[in-house]
Amino acid sequence: MIIKIFIIISIRKTIFLEKLRMLETKKIKSITSVRKFYFLDYFYILLLSVDRFWKMEEIFESFKILKQLYQLGESKYKKLTSESMPTKKQLDRYRYTLEQVIEEAKEYYLISEEKNGKLELTKSGIDLLKIAETKGNREFNLEIFRLMENQYEAFKYIINFAYEANKHKPGLLIFPNYSPSQMGIARKSIKCKDDIIQYLNSLVQRLEYDLEKFIGRRPNLVSHTNKIVNRLENSELLGKNKKDIFNPRDYNKIIKRIRDYWLAVFLKDIYHYEFSASSFDFWIYRGKQIGIIQVSEFFPNFSGRIVYPTSIISEKVNDPDFESLYEYDNGQSLFVHSLMEHQNDEKFVDTLVKYYFDLRKSYRGYFINLLALRELVCYSLKISDYVFEKLLNEVYKLNILGKLKIKISLEVDRLPEETKAIYLKREPVIVDGQVRNIIGIDVTKGGRKR
Amino acid sequence: MNKLLKKPKLKITKSHNRYGKFDLSENPFPSEPTVNRESSDPRINGNIFEGKIRQKEYEKIRDNFLMISQSDLNHYRLGYIIDSSYIGRGNGKSAFLGYLQHLINSEFCLDISKEKNKCFAVSIYPEPGGRTKSFQSFIDSIFFSICNTGIIDICLATQRLEAIQNIYPNFEIKDKDNELLIKELNSDEWLKWEGLDFNKLRNYILESDYLQGFPSDFPLFKNRRMLFENWPSLSDFKQYYFDLKKTTDKLTFIFTHLVNFFQSANFNGGYILVDDFERIPDFQSTRQKKDFALELRSVLFDGFYESAKLGFFNCILVLHAGVPRLIAEAWLESGLEQRSPIGSHSDTAHIIPFEKLTKENALLLLGCYLAKFRLKSQAESVTYPFDEKSILKIAEYSEFNAAKILRMAYYILEKAASQEGLTKIDEKFIIENRADPMISGRESTSSIEDLDSIDLKKKAKIKE
Repeated sequence: MIIKIFIIISIRKTIFLEKLRMLETKKIKSITSVRKFYFLDYFYILLLSVDRFWKMEEIFESFKILKQLYQLGESKYKKLTSESMPTKKQLDRYRYTLEQVIEEAKEYYLISEEKNGKLELTKSGIDLLKIAETKGNREFNLEIFRLMENQYEAFKYIINFAYEANKHKPGLLIFPNYSPSQMGIARKSIKCKDDIIQYLNSLVQRLEYDLEKFIGRRPNLVSHTNKIVNRLENSELLGKNKKDIFNPRDYNKIIKRIRDYWLAVFLKDIYHYEFSASSFDFWIYRGKQIGIIQVSEFFPNFSGRIVYPTSIISEKVNDPDFESLYEYDNGQSLFVHSLMEHQNDEKFVDTLVKYYFDLRKSYRGYFINLLALRELVCYSLKISDYVFEKLLNEVYKLNILGKLKIKISLEVDRLPEETKAIYLKREPVIVDGQVRNIIGIDVTKGGRKR
Repeated sequence: MNKLLKKPKLKITKSHNRYGKFDLSENPFPSEPTVNRESSDPRINGNIFEGKIRQKEYEKIRDNFLMISQSDLNHYRLGYIIDSSYIGRGNGKSAFLGYLQHLINSEFCLDISKEKNKCFAVSIYPEPGGRTKSFQSFIDSIFFSICNTGIIDICLATQRLEAIQNIYPNFEIKDKDNELLIKELNSDEWLKWEGLDFNKLRNYILESDYLQGFPSDFPLFKNRRMLFENWPSLSDFKQYYFDLKKTTDKLTFIFTHLVNFFQSANFNGGYILVDDFERIPDFQSTRQKKDFALELRSVLFDGFYESAKLGFFNCILVLHAGVPRLIAEAWLESGLEQRSPIGSHSDTAHIIPFEKLTKENALLLLGCYLAKFRLKSQAESVTYPFDEKSILKIAEYSEFNAAKILRMAYYILEKAASQEGLTKIDEKFIIENRADPMISGRESTSSIEDLDSIDLKKKAKIKE
């Protein structure tokens, strides 16, 4: 009995100390100190691995297997050749990722390291693992989000930053990317420095035009052409004279440098982001998984990346479509636009139909790509992929029951991961338990307006 | 001047053929390449089809299905055409199915099978909204397709022709168009005109071994003892089917009675070609998928139906790449997997992989459309006004997708026709015009700057 009481007291003491530590560290860290990985699922597989093993090597083995099992990493939707063994380079990368995840998990007091180097789940870690297993991925991500925001308030910064950067189209950040061929210049015709300058000049005009349309002002970007050319000269990718022919093998390198340059200019000079570009990347992709920031690299008729918040930071909201996910110390909260009420079905269907017909103009067939439609609907309604999937599931059920004014047909074509030809990092749409990637809508049934 | 005498100032000029300079009577390509069999336009009704493009697929079906004797009870009864290209739509599966049906029905497979088989083919197109998800609606589609193919009229005519030849050996059937002959044989007036005895013919037909044990209200026996008798016709068959209320009665009608009826008209098999099969399981629950597979097994392989006993009906399902995974479990649980495995490797005889077009296919594809609208028999080249490189460029831009290639070719030709003096289309012309929204097929879709989007702060009514 005495032993039992002793154990209870010591457990309570540990919990108390954990809470104390958390309170002590309630200083907001710089958002640039974030560890370098995107996938929140990494926390889950780390917790699973630490739960089962304690030796570092065993944890690594388990982490590696689970990483492959859940297809986490750069090639999430590419067909993985599971039979092939990871190379030494890949293993080093996995190890680096594991170290990063461990470090961040320690910050959130999900795991602790004993003096002998043994890793253990803390009470919070055990609870979080339970949430993942009983409530699913969504709840798990939300919990991780709260832990992150507790320490970094990075999402608050990024969301406010986006609304501040673009008031013309509130919160929308564009990062256009036009290759020479998209500018109407054939690759074959780009041989010397002068050809690159021609490309850069037309690119500048296009980017200025885009900015005027998207953010409502037209900054002069001409001076950047010289800066890029100087940089390319300094790194010996281009020669000194206009007619100097560059090594054709460097073509891709040159184009990539130009693209990266413009990305940095957009982020720092145009939108005035204060931190590193990589920190921006990590936080927006984490925000996308939580459903508070939307990122798209495949937006129809736009070449490049777009980012926009599907949430706001405010003290209160006067609309039932918002859901509070986090409360800050200053009384503000992060509200996500969740549109989860049933009365939104009609609005969702109208938007779905509107953009279905819009896309049909270009696809010219009954079936169109569901992922492309999702991009348009999410942007129009400012909702996340998660909310889109929820609403689509809801209206699809109504459709099957014949309770919808239109007919929706969702089908499975070949999936991206089943082909070697395309490589897409896009979240699939799952409806009625099946991955769907094409959609057909028939409005004749109810005569809904197009 | 009196208005009766007044003339308009501008004269009507004769329209000249815009495509004449390309040695074409019209633009041969469809602007919207989807197969519509009801259409009279050969560009979209599937009549223009270059068999060589799908030679490999056809030969596999010919060697493993059409040429195998129907009397061999172990012949394949269920096959799958599975798309193995990465994009399933517009790859030409529907057009190929139409072509296959046409090949089978043109000589009822007698030529292909070297007279071992006499088979017909019907095509089913499940409804995209999921209405074909039950087996009953599936068999409804089979019956309507049988009606639309005209096979019932052909069988009725065959029975009568045989009866006439046996009862009136000296009656001369004039050499005439088959369609006209079928029409005449199915007409009461023609019989009267030719002085043929209705009762004698009917009694001869009904004595056939195949037609014994039928329900008394089966269309062939209808009105038998009435004062004013008529030949049974297609509408009697339709009416009879509509009046059947129970699914089991419908199944018996199609898979036993109709099978015997077809045999009495010398057919020994029938092909049911099902396009876009996934439109059925996509809407089914796990239970419904299994039930569907069980019913399919019963009518094709081991049910109490005449069709299953003889292997009369053979079914070929057209599947997109992701579909086998969708139905694998139902196939396994229903036992269909043992009879016709869907999970097996593509080199098995009953699985026909449907591959992506190649460069050569693209040349053949455009060549066969151009040939149909050629003005002179001898053009500069088969693909004139396109040169080889320009076609390859079109194919490349269209990701080797048949529908996209045809569509792009249509708009390229339109553009070229409007340019004076242009008589040849080369690679440069394609590259230069690729950005044209009509040609690239990406016209007038809203781009992000034009899209309406909610302002969340306004919606939340936040004061800034």
